[in-house]
Amino acid sequence: MSRKEPMQENCLLEIKNVTMKFTKYDVGVDSLKELVVRAFKGDLKREKFVCLKNISFSINRGEAVAVIGRNGVGKSTLLKIVSGILKPTSGTVKCRGRITPLLKLGAGFDGNATGIENIYLNAAILGYTKKEIDEKLPAILEFSELGDFIYSPIKTYSSGMMARLGFSIAVNMESEILLIDEILGVGDMAFQRKCHAKLDELRAKGLTFLIVSHSPGVERYCKRAIWIERGRLVADGDTNDVFRRYTEMMNKNPSCK
Amino acid sequence: MEKRSLAKRMGQHAYLMRLLVRRNIKNQYYRSFIGILWTVLNPLLNMLVMAFVFSQIFGRGNTGGLDYSIYILSGNIIFGIMRSSTSGSLPCLVGQRDMLQKTKVPISMFPTANVFSSLVTFGFSFIALVVVALFRFWAGAYQFHWETIMVLVLLPAITLFSLGLSYFLSALYVFFRDLKHIYSVLLTLWTYLTPLFYTIDRLDNPMVSSVIEFNPMYHYVSYFRDLLVGNIPTLGEHIICYAFGLGMFAFGALFLLAVRNKIAAKL
Repeated sequence: MSRKEPMQENCLLEIKNVTMKFTKYDVGVDSLKELVVRAFKGDLKREKFVCLKNISFSINRGEAVAVIGRNGVGKSTLLKIVSGILKPTSGTVKCRGRITPLLKLGAGFDGNATGIENIYLNAAILGYTKKEIDEKLPAILEFSELGDFIYSPIKTYSSGMMARLGFSIAVNMESEILLIDEILGVGDMAFQRKCHAKLDELRAKGLTFLIVSHSPGVERYCKRAIWIERGRLVADGDTNDVFRRYTEMMNKNPSCK
Repeated sequence: MEKRSLAKRMGQHAYLMRLLVRRNIKNQYYRSFIGILWTVLNPLLNMLVMAFVFSQIFGRGNTGGLDYSIYILSGNIIFGIMRSSTSGSLPCLVGQRDMLQKTKVPISMFPTANVFSSLVTFGFSFIALVVVALFRFWAGAYQFHWETIMVLVLLPAITLFSLGLSYFLSALYVFFRDLKHIYSVLLTLWTYLTPLFYTIDRLDNPMVSSVIEFNPMYHYVSYFRDLLVGNIPTLGEHIICYAFGLGMFAFGALFLLAVRNKIAAKL
């Protein structure tokens, strides 16, 4: 992801001809024993499995885009490529600005460490400096509503509390792009309402969103939707429009695989 | 939009590294009664057991003028840098899979943090060594030598070696999950092939004696013991130590670089 090449001023994220292939062994080979035995048997069939084919789109500053599609068509892979975790087999991803991924909330916390320690560790892994975290700490603490529990080890937390903490860290750190993967079902009703309010606030501030979703509820944030089907980009346009076509297809052909 | 300078990124990585190392150390003796003191006590108690077993039960050879308790302890703490680095690093990428799938933090951070934690542990173990040396000094069995300070010349070499091996193992473990069992056996073999509690002159098999020359840990351990008795190792010995270190580091780093993109997909 080089930042040297000039891009249009408004374009924050540019995905060009991205193709992703995975090597899929017949049966997952993930031990040396398995590999050796199979090599001797001549049974080491590999298959290339194409997950995404020639996907191109770009997102402007301040836009909110929903990614829709059935399970397993490559939406999460796309998010991982956008955030730079996976490198595409071919094609380029250009990104200007910092990305905060809201994937797997509360994952990667260290159970033995306290809430505070985990805030620092998590934010440092997301790429923030100590000074930046110090500045944001009060906002994170306030938003998470964990009170004195923040000084207890994470392993004493309930899963809801952990998700709250994860969410609080992610939304309170300043970034330009927020990647969200179906996580808005965290916490109790009150906290969910608070999350939505916070996301509204971030939208109003002009943050760019990329949301993976199955529910038309994302219209709240996204005017634009991208529909991915079997690794291809099928539609890119107005959310209502795309969702209508998507629902039609699902109704017509509910079991198509 | 923000252009982050290289210096700032480096500073950020150094900060993350500090947090990771601190977490490793804390978790190592988490919630144990005397906490961090274990890092000093652990090598001491181990040394006592070994000293008892090998001086009272089995015979021992010529330690080259070094008191036997110091001989054992010095070998073990040097070997321990490599042992705890690699056995900690082996599962570390798989253990952090949630983190690594979430963000694009450089994956080498995690094995590197493990190696640095081992160096910190070595620091504590070194205190134990000094304590033992003091006791032996009062008993008239050991003389302090200023050359010991040259351990600072040895540490970079063994750190590079441990880093390389840790990179290699942590990456390979992502693909082969049975590596854990294989490596633990290899590590045992390696422990016995390094003169930690026996001395090199006890080896009757000439083949083993010549093979041991290719054991980098043998060189690191004997370098350290040379210092403890006040000898400065030869230039050739320095070259061997650094050649192993740099070679292993280059190998591990290149391996990690080569499979880096496959790791995120495989995790």
